Formats: sequence, structure tokens, C-alpha cells
Amino acid sequence: MNYTKKLFRKKDIYNLEKTDELFVKAMKENATFQYNNCQDYKRILDDFSFNPEALEATSDLARLPFIPTLYFKHHHLQSVPANKQVIKATSSGTSGSMSKIGFDLKSLLRGLDMVIQVGKYHKLWSIKPTNYIVFGYQPTKTNKTAVSKTAYGFTLFAPAKNRTFALEMTDNGYKLLLDKVLKALDKYSKSKLPMRTIGFPAYTYFFLRNLKEKGIRYKMPKGSMITLGGGWKQFYAEKVDKQDFYALVKEVLDIDEDHIVEFFGAVEHPILYTDCKCHHFHVPIYSRIIIRNPDDFSPVEHGKIGLVNLMSPMIHSAPLLSVMTDDLGILHDEKCPCGASSPWLEIIGRVGVSDIVTCAAGADEYLKK
Amino acid sequence: MILYQGKILENSRQDELIESMINVLYKPMESGMPLSTDTVINACDQLAAKIKNGDYDDIVKPFLSLFNISENQFQDMVRLFTREGLEYKCSIELSDEEKIIDGKILRKRYPLGVLLHIAAGNVDILPAYSVVEGLLSGNINILKLPMGDSGLSVKLLYELIQIEPELSDYIYVFDVPSTETETLTKLAKLCNGVVVWGGDAAVKAARNMVDVNTKIIAWGHKLSFAYAENDASDEQLKALAQSICDTNQLLCSSCQGIFVDTDSKDEQLEFANRFFKILCEVNSLSTAVDYGMRAKNAINIYNERLEKHTTGNTILSSDGISVIAKDDSSLELSYMYRNVWIKRLPKSQIHTLIKYKNYLQTAAVLTTDTSKQEEIAEKLALAGVVRITSAGNMNRTVCGEAHDGTYALREYSRIVEREASVE
Repeated sequence: MNYTKKLFRKKDIYNLEKTDELFVKAMKENATFQYNNCQDYKRILDDFSFNPEALEATSDLARLPFIPTLYFKHHHLQSVPANKQVIKATSSGTSGSMSKIGFDLKSLLRGLDMVIQVGKYHKLWSIKPTNYIVFGYQPTKTNKTAVSKTAYGFTLFAPAKNRTFALEMTDNGYKLLLDKVLKALDKYSKSKLPMRTIGFPAYTYFFLRNLKEKGIRYKMPKGSMITLGGGWKQFYAEKVDKQDFYALVKEVLDIDEDHIVEFFGAVEHPILYTDCKCHHFHVPIYSRIIIRNPDDFSPVEHGKIGLVNLMSPMIHSAPLLSVMTDDLGILHDEKCPCGASSPWLEIIGRVGVSDIVTCAAGADEYLKK
Repeated sequence: MILYQGKILENSRQDELIESMINVLYKPMESGMPLSTDTVINACDQLAAKIKNGDYDDIVKPFLSLFNISENQFQDMVRLFTREGLEYKCSIELSDEEKIIDGKILRKRYPLGVLLHIAAGNVDILPAYSVVEGLLSGNINILKLPMGDSGLSVKLLYELIQIEPELSDYIYVFDVPSTETETLTKLAKLCNGVVVWGGDAAVKAARNMVDVNTKIIAWGHKLSFAYAENDASDEQLKALAQSICDTNQLLCSSCQGIFVDTDSKDEQLEFANRFFKILCEVNSLSTAVDYGMRAKNAINIYNERLEKHTTGNTILSSDGISVIAKDDSSLELSYMYRNVWIKRLPKSQIHTLIKYKNYLQTAAVLTTDTSKQEEIAEKLALAGVVRITSAGNMNRTVCGEAHDGTYALREYSRIVEREASVE
């Protein structure tokens, strides 16, 4: 019996109601496996006196102890031997430290099933050769961040004719290779083949704004697409209104809003969230979200802000069943014109983001080195 | 915004102005007449009076609410700029301006020359204040604004020049991002001293950027703490809790944690419990911590609980505040926003703090025994602490107080010794 496998093969990917029972069974199945194979996880559940066997209904999910992403940054949790972990991914380390998570083949195959279904639903698959501009960095042996891998992965939705990577690693972090991208864009705009960009929204935005300021305009080939992933990261302060962004894309590249797709995901919750034509991140069947009140972690009702707790039975090689992110968000259940029935997640921002840089905090950074 | 020769100009002219600045920068030196401290004090005093009078409320009020500064705190800040405050500061920091030594040598204080101030963004008034200190010591000042500057510094300095036009040759402000190291190096080359405010990264960057013949004056980040005896009174603990809630532990002088004079874990935990109760009480009467920060610390505290098995920490928490008793004796940043660590550090071990060198700033001593208080204060001072206060006074602002163990005006000065003219 493998409920998780079954869940990840389902075709109606935004019908939560129909999969609720299966989801709980899959969670119970995985929680039991993790409990028996990961000592750390067993200790955590025992500390909360929670028995995975007690997972019977969706209402039980909120009681399953969650693990903050912060915990994964300090502890490498695993439930299969290291040689079974075919991919080791690290989070991008926005705030300095990174999570290390190993994925086994079983987990990756579920991921593949999911990507196939999500790609079908959102019409991302294409057999037409495509020119890619990746607003990310070229994956290398030393660069294990998940974003670089997934950005590369997205160039597989349609066969790649060319791939241009827009970021370069320098001593001061990543640098946008403006001239290189501009040259590529110029070439791709004259091609008959569609172009797709993928990468950090912030870099895509800065690049397009730069083009706009320079007065550069293109008419990109039909079927071209802007895809965004990796979040706005350290650019929260610069976060632009999405409508402004769509208008900018239209103005500079002549690509319509319905060809702009944004993804959302995390190493600790590698579920492919894809925005619908109304740019809402609907919760797919592989996942459930509980928004919690920070003062006591009690679940809040839909429409209220709180900490975003993500749940999924997808990963077999590590206990990622219930993960508490550093994000504040809202789960909306208003009816969406796109037709997907599941609620959608709005990320409001990261916890503790403050414009005020503290002096005491700065001193400590050095002490920890 | 750029302030150049008394005019506010657009950022787009930055490169051109920096390039040609060498033609005007040293103008005040040509005259052979130094900038008098009185001129600066006069201008500042008039500006302070206007601020008090509400003339700049449209600029000042939003800044106060943004940084959550109370009217009282603000009045303390303004007092720093009044004649009384500045004269007192100068009388202390520049006390021996002129002196004859050995009967024939005239020893006199002179400004370093040109100062580049690389300001930090944590307190909006600081960039302007840094320039005022440069002026008081007679220097020509180039200010690099911090990222995300609200424009307050340029406005204040512009007003200062309106009051005293002579200062237009002594104040330049540029909005160069810290990443533009080439431009900053160019500016630093023109200067005798570089004043850096900010974290270690900023100080290090400045050290890399500046020629060896240029003095660096670094106002780096600091950590502060309290040192307590078991006989500390409830009033003392309450006063400490109050300052923790008032500043949310954000300032260099804010208490991050408490070292208790004991090597017994039981005593440490007893103290932790006692302080936790008091902190809860004071917290319940204080303005609530910002939602996003509460959310962040909710996760931090939850995570502390999950990690208890490896850290051995004892966590007392409720309503987003916490007291965490730890086994080590290292000085570290707390989670802030009313989250305090408590560690054991017997009196005999106070000297071990010396390893934190220049990071040490303020320590409050909490005991009701005066002789112990003396002994502890002396040990803390020898270990490197530069401000030793009572429980409620860690964040005081006092005119004439030294800055991180030294006097800014002296750092911005040099001593010239000249033999009396030959008869």
C-alpha cells in the first residue's frame, strides 16, 4: 500500500476535498515511517506526546508537531542511508545559513509525477525548441542551492535551443551580467522560436526596468513566456506591485500577462506551487497549509494573517511532513475565476523583517564567525 | 540628494562633482583661518532652538514615529545640539586646546583636516551628528549617506548652512552606495581620516579601501549586558526589565543578557525564574512588540525547545518573551525584543570577557552590596567594559559622555607642537 504514490499520480490537482482522505492516509504512512527511521523526528514527536498512528482525519493534521525551517539549518535530518540520497540540495541561505536536505529516488519520482501533472494543468509543456534566459546561476559542483537546480530544471519543460545564464558568482555575491543578457535577448527576439525566461523575480524586474530606462523595446516571438521562481528574497523592500511588473513586461518585451507564470516552493517543502491566470497560488493536492497565530500557534481562519505552516507527505528521505516557514501569509478561500477550487496562498513577507538595522546584531555576526 | 558648497543637487551629478571637488575642497585652508568652535556651536544652537520650536515638525515627527522615539528621548537628543550641551562636550573633549611645554614649545590642537564619514542606517540622526562632531573639531566633512537614508541628514545640514553660510565650505554630502567602492576610494583619498559607523563588514570594507596613511576612526557595533549578584533587589531587576522593554534590546547599550555571579546551576535557574516573572510583569505594561518580530521570535523560541536536547538550555517563555538559561559563559546577541539569556559567570571569571575586546560596551551592575559593586565594576572595567551603570541607566544619554571609551573630538584632531619663534 502506498498512499503517497497514489496521491502524486492524481490528475485533478486542485481538488483538495476529493483527496483529503488520501492525503491524511499518506501523511500517517509517512509520519510512521519517519518516526521509525529518524531518531530526531521520533524524539520531537515523543516530546509532544504525539503518536503518528493518531493521524486519522484532516482535523488531526494541525496537531502533528511542525519543524521550523530554522531547525533544518542546524540539523541534517535523514531517514534513509546517505548513499540512497541521490540529490543533496541546500536552501539559498537568504539569511546566512542553509538547510541541507537529501532526496532519495523515491521522493524524486513523486516529484516527477507532480511536475508532469502541474506542467500539464498550467500548459507549461511544449515540444517547440525554446531559447532560455535563466536569471539564476549556472549549476556547478560547488553550487548546490536548490534554486539553481530548479531553474535549470525548468529549462526542460520545452526543449532548450540555447540557455543563457544571467548571474555570475563574484566575491561580493551574485552579479547580473547585463550586457550578456541583452545580447542574448536581442538575438532571441529575432528568432522564430519562443523565448522563456526563468529566475528570481527581483533580477528579472531589475533587468527589465533597466531596459525600460534605456528605452529598449522588443517584440518577443509568439509563445514566449516569463517564468518567475525563487521568491523576492532580500529585495522585499523593492518589492513591486505585481500589476506594475506585468505592465513592464508588456511594455518592454510585448509579452502578455497570461504568459507570465510564477512558481513558489522551498527546499523544505519542494511542492511546485504555480500561479493561476489570476496569479493566485492555489494549494495543490500534494500539500496542505495551516496558517497559525504566532502567539500560540493555533490555526487561524481563512483570510487572517499568520505563520505559514506547509504540509506534505512527498519526501521519503527526510521528515518534511510539517514545516514551519519564516513567512507570514494568508490563505484565501474566495472563489477564484480561474476555476481551481482550492484555497490560495498569499505570502505577505518574511517574519521579523525590519528596516532598522540594529547595531548589536551587527557585532554578533562577527562573533559567530 | 547631494549637498555641495551649500547647494542641494541631483544625484546624477555625483561623478562630475567628485571629480572637480579637489578644486574647492581645501579652500578653507588657503585662508589660514581655522573654523572656530564657537561658530559651529552658534549654528547648532540656533538649529536646536528651531527644532524645539517645531519649525521642522514636518521632517522630525515622521522620523520619531518611524524609529519609535519618545518625546523625552527626542528632547535628550536635541539637548546634545544646544549651546550648553556642545560647550560642555568641548570643555571635556578639547580641554587642553593650547599649552606651553618646556617653556618654549607651543602645543596646540588642530583638526585632522578632511574627514569622510561613512554613516550607518540604524539611527537617522547619527549621520548629521557625526558631521557636527567633525565641525566642532574644525574639520572639513564629506558625508556618505547610509542606504535608505530618509533625507533627514541633508535637510538638517542644509539648514545649518542657512544659519551659518561659512559652513558651506565644510560640509559635503553624497549618496554613494557602499557597493561603489571605486568612488568611495576616490573620496577617501581626499581625506585625512575616515569615520566609519556600522558593523564589522563596514569597518573591514573601510580598512580595505583606505590608504595606510589615512586614519580610520571606527564606531563599530557593540554588545552590552548586566552582571548580577543574587542579592540584587526586585527594584533593580525591574529597572533592568524596563530598559529591556523600552529599547527592545536594539541599541549597542541595550542589555542582551545577564551574567550571574555563581557557578551553581540551581542558583542560576532560581535567578532566571525570578527575573522571568519580573520581565513578564513589565512586558504586560509595555507597548506590545511589533507583530512580525513576535512571529520571528515565536519560531526562535519554539526552535529552542526542539533543540533543548543538544543545547541543554532551560527556556522560560510566554507571550513572545523569554528568559533562556544557558550553560556557557559567552557574550552573545539575544533574540532581542524582550528575549534575554542568563549565564553563569563567577566574579573570579569576569576577566575572561577580555576576549571580546572592542565589542564590549555597557554593563549594568545589579547588587545591593556597595563593596561588591565596587569590586565588580573594577573587574569589568579591567576586562574592557567602557560604561558601567546601574540597572536602569544602560541607555542613558548624557552630555559630555565619552563615546565607546574615547572622545570623538580628540580622535578627529591632532596635536601640533611648535617652537616659539626665534628671538
